[in-house]
Amino acid sequence: MKKIKYFISALLLVAVTAMTFSSCSEDKLGPTIFPDVDETLDPNSYTYKLDKFLKVNYLDKYNLTFLYKMPDISTNMNYNLVPAEYNNAIDLAVLCKHLWFDVYDKVAGEDFLKTYGPRIILLIGSPAINPNSGSEIVGLAEGGIKISLFKVNSMNISDFEQMNELYFHTMHHEFSHILHQTKTYPTEFNTISVGRYDANNWQYRGNEVTSLGFVTPYGSSEYREDFAETIACFIVYTDTQWNRLMELARRGYATSASDDDLDAVYYSYYYYPDNDAEQDLVYVDERFVVVVTDEDGTVHKYWRNNRDKDGNRIVVYDVIDKDGINGEEAILQKVQIARQWFRDAWNIDLDSLRSEVQTRQATYDINQLRLMVSDIQ
Amino acid sequence: MKKYFNIAALALVAFTALSLGSCTNEIDEIFDEDAVARLAKAQAEYVDILTSNGGKWQLEYFANSDEPGYVYLMTFSTDGSVVVSGMNKWINIIDNPSAMGSAPAFGTATSLWDVIVDNGPVLTFNSYNKYFHLFADPYDVPGGSTGQVDSEDENESGYGHSGDYEFCIMKYSGDTLYLSGKKRGLNMIMTRVASTVDDRVYMNEVTAMADSFFHAKIPQVYINLPNDVRWIVKNGATSILKIFREGADEISTAENYNVIITHDGLSFMSPITLDGYTIQNFTRQADGSLLCRDDNQTTMTADDLSDIMASPRFVWKLSQGDLGGVYAQLLTQIVNEIKAYNSSTLQDVVLAYNTTAQSMAITFNVKRRTVTYKPTYYLTPNVIDETHIKFTLNPEGDSWAKSFEAQCPSIKEFATNMGSMTFELSANSLLAPVVMKLTDGSNFMVWKISEMI
Repeated sequence: MKKIKYFISALLLVAVTAMTFSSCSEDKLGPTIFPDVDETLDPNSYTYKLDKFLKVNYLDKYNLTFLYKMPDISTNMNYNLVPAEYNNAIDLAVLCKHLWFDVYDKVAGEDFLKTYGPRIILLIGSPAINPNSGSEIVGLAEGGIKISLFKVNSMNISDFEQMNELYFHTMHHEFSHILHQTKTYPTEFNTISVGRYDANNWQYRGNEVTSLGFVTPYGSSEYREDFAETIACFIVYTDTQWNRLMELARRGYATSASDDDLDAVYYSYYYYPDNDAEQDLVYVDERFVVVVTDEDGTVHKYWRNNRDKDGNRIVVYDVIDKDGINGEEAILQKVQIARQWFRDAWNIDLDSLRSEVQTRQATYDINQLRLMVSDIQ
Repeated sequence: MKKYFNIAALALVAFTALSLGSCTNEIDEIFDEDAVARLAKAQAEYVDILTSNGGKWQLEYFANSDEPGYVYLMTFSTDGSVVVSGMNKWINIIDNPSAMGSAPAFGTATSLWDVIVDNGPVLTFNSYNKYFHLFADPYDVPGGSTGQVDSEDENESGYGHSGDYEFCIMKYSGDTLYLSGKKRGLNMIMTRVASTVDDRVYMNEVTAMADSFFHAKIPQVYINLPNDVRWIVKNGATSILKIFREGADEISTAENYNVIITHDGLSFMSPITLDGYTIQNFTRQADGSLLCRDDNQTTMTADDLSDIMASPRFVWKLSQGDLGGVYAQLLTQIVNEIKAYNSSTLQDVVLAYNTTAQSMAITFNVKRRTVTYKPTYYLTPNVIDETHIKFTLNPEGDSWAKSFEAQCPSIKEFATNMGSMTFELSANSLLAPVVMKLTDGSNFMVWKISEMI
């Protein structure tokens, strides 16, 4: 009986298998259903010169697609975004090459970005604004593949600091993410400011973060952002900007509000009304502080345009740094780790990279760079 | 044993049937080509449609359901560029941020376009055009939805106007493209415009059309349905129409609907249904009224001309250059008589409700140096029908009238003539009749509303 059961089962299995296979045997793959897409650039196209520039300098060289005509499916649909302005796209295309790709080619060799560079750069005209928090995303690096640059329509080519903040800074920041997503950085970096990160409220922080050892408030949000921000600031900040950052990092900060108050403003100077130390101190923004140096080198600080009841200038004092953290030292430690990591992991001299960027930042002529596109025939 | 054979036999039959069924290749094809090929074909067809015959189109654009619609002219080129022209207050704010106001301004800029394959063919404006993408920008809207600097300003950061710049192409029919905003889903249409049209002239005409429809001095107009029921329309000048059934409670029943004023008429953003009649698109008629082209019956007008003329709400001023017959002659005589009397000049002639006398009154404002005399006669309006009116004169006049009567008799004669004729009324527009012509044979006068009481 059992044998018969097995026999019947086997018979069934063979029959079904045979029929199933036979039913599929005539399914042959036909030609592709997708139409051939002609990738040839049309010389009559309004965007031919830019398209040609992008093909030669990004696609052919780095296998990188530079998207300036915004496909919104490439963006987060939860945000309201608009495309980039065409002329601004031209400027960013040539600046990306000059201040980023050409720099790495020179410092790290031509194969470096071919291997590790992003495969997509996406330009977006507006920021990604979170309506709830009011925060703005100005750059994104996704999976080591794509870098999105936002606020392209707000760029002011004659405002170097804005260009640096929105684009060059963002480029190096996002590329740092791509690099550390490929080869992780030493975990030692994460220990320097451990316990001082604030992922939820970093946007409410100001210059006081420098005293805690961060280059920017965003850097104080989490380890990885701190790492990318440290590298980006180190590369793009001019000597003046970097020295200023170190100066801020050496300062002490205090607020008259509660430390728990998200809107609390931190100051690094204070004074006493009427120069009377018996009165309650008042914090003052550094923009209202005048520094006067005597002939003998003595430095005095005063509250701008204000005098006490006797007509004397009101003396301003530095807030004493009580956080127990040497902000400057912390930042320099982070830079050193990044420097070492660049050397060990990537065989790149970070200082040379910075030097090359600084030279190019200080000397580029946008009209000259635009010729790379406009001169294309 | 037998049981197992039966099961096996049944199973074999079932599987054989199923397997053979799966082999049949005779499934009826709904479409001749596969989806990708059809989509590519549609993409090419729409590019051709958009760029042919000069490639100029009018887009009736709606950013959201709380704002009016805005007309844009778009000229699509085969090189991938598009010239976008518009005329609205937001363009004014972009070009003159410090002079924020509600006056519309013209703007034109070139950007890029394409028909891409998405969930169907999609018309995308994929590079920024400052005069068009302003409705999709996520920044805070200056002055809020009114664009007025002194308005209550909400923070729209992250949303902006919430407008679309990509549009699913739903269908093409009769030189009209039916679009649906890809993100917000609002329906819009694009209609072909002659390539010879000058963008600035066209947009000026659209703005003039908007001004002719609704007038702040005519605070309510009516949708006249085929069943002889009227629905009251308020706030017409804002293009956010407040609509409620005549006789119904305004506060509890009124609904707001946003409209767009185009080169030819007015359209609601979506069809609306009033008393079972569904209406959306209206075409301007020669008499200034609007006729619904969906049913060819429903109209939009103001009150009857005779009711407006007889209304105590308006102050009318005589257009002294638009007189005919006896009125032209009498006015000339009045000017001469008052000059001869005491070197006075005629400032203006006003027809308005006099609250003291509780009657309509015609007043001749006569100025001598710094003093203005106001000889006045009282006229009671009698509405005869929708377009005819007659005035009854009280021949007494006020004290000033009496003092002028002997030396300037033409003043009284003017009023007397008004009280003796039956006037046929005609207006610049049945929707905004702010300029009224009163005619009796060869005699006529033109009165203009100068203010509301």
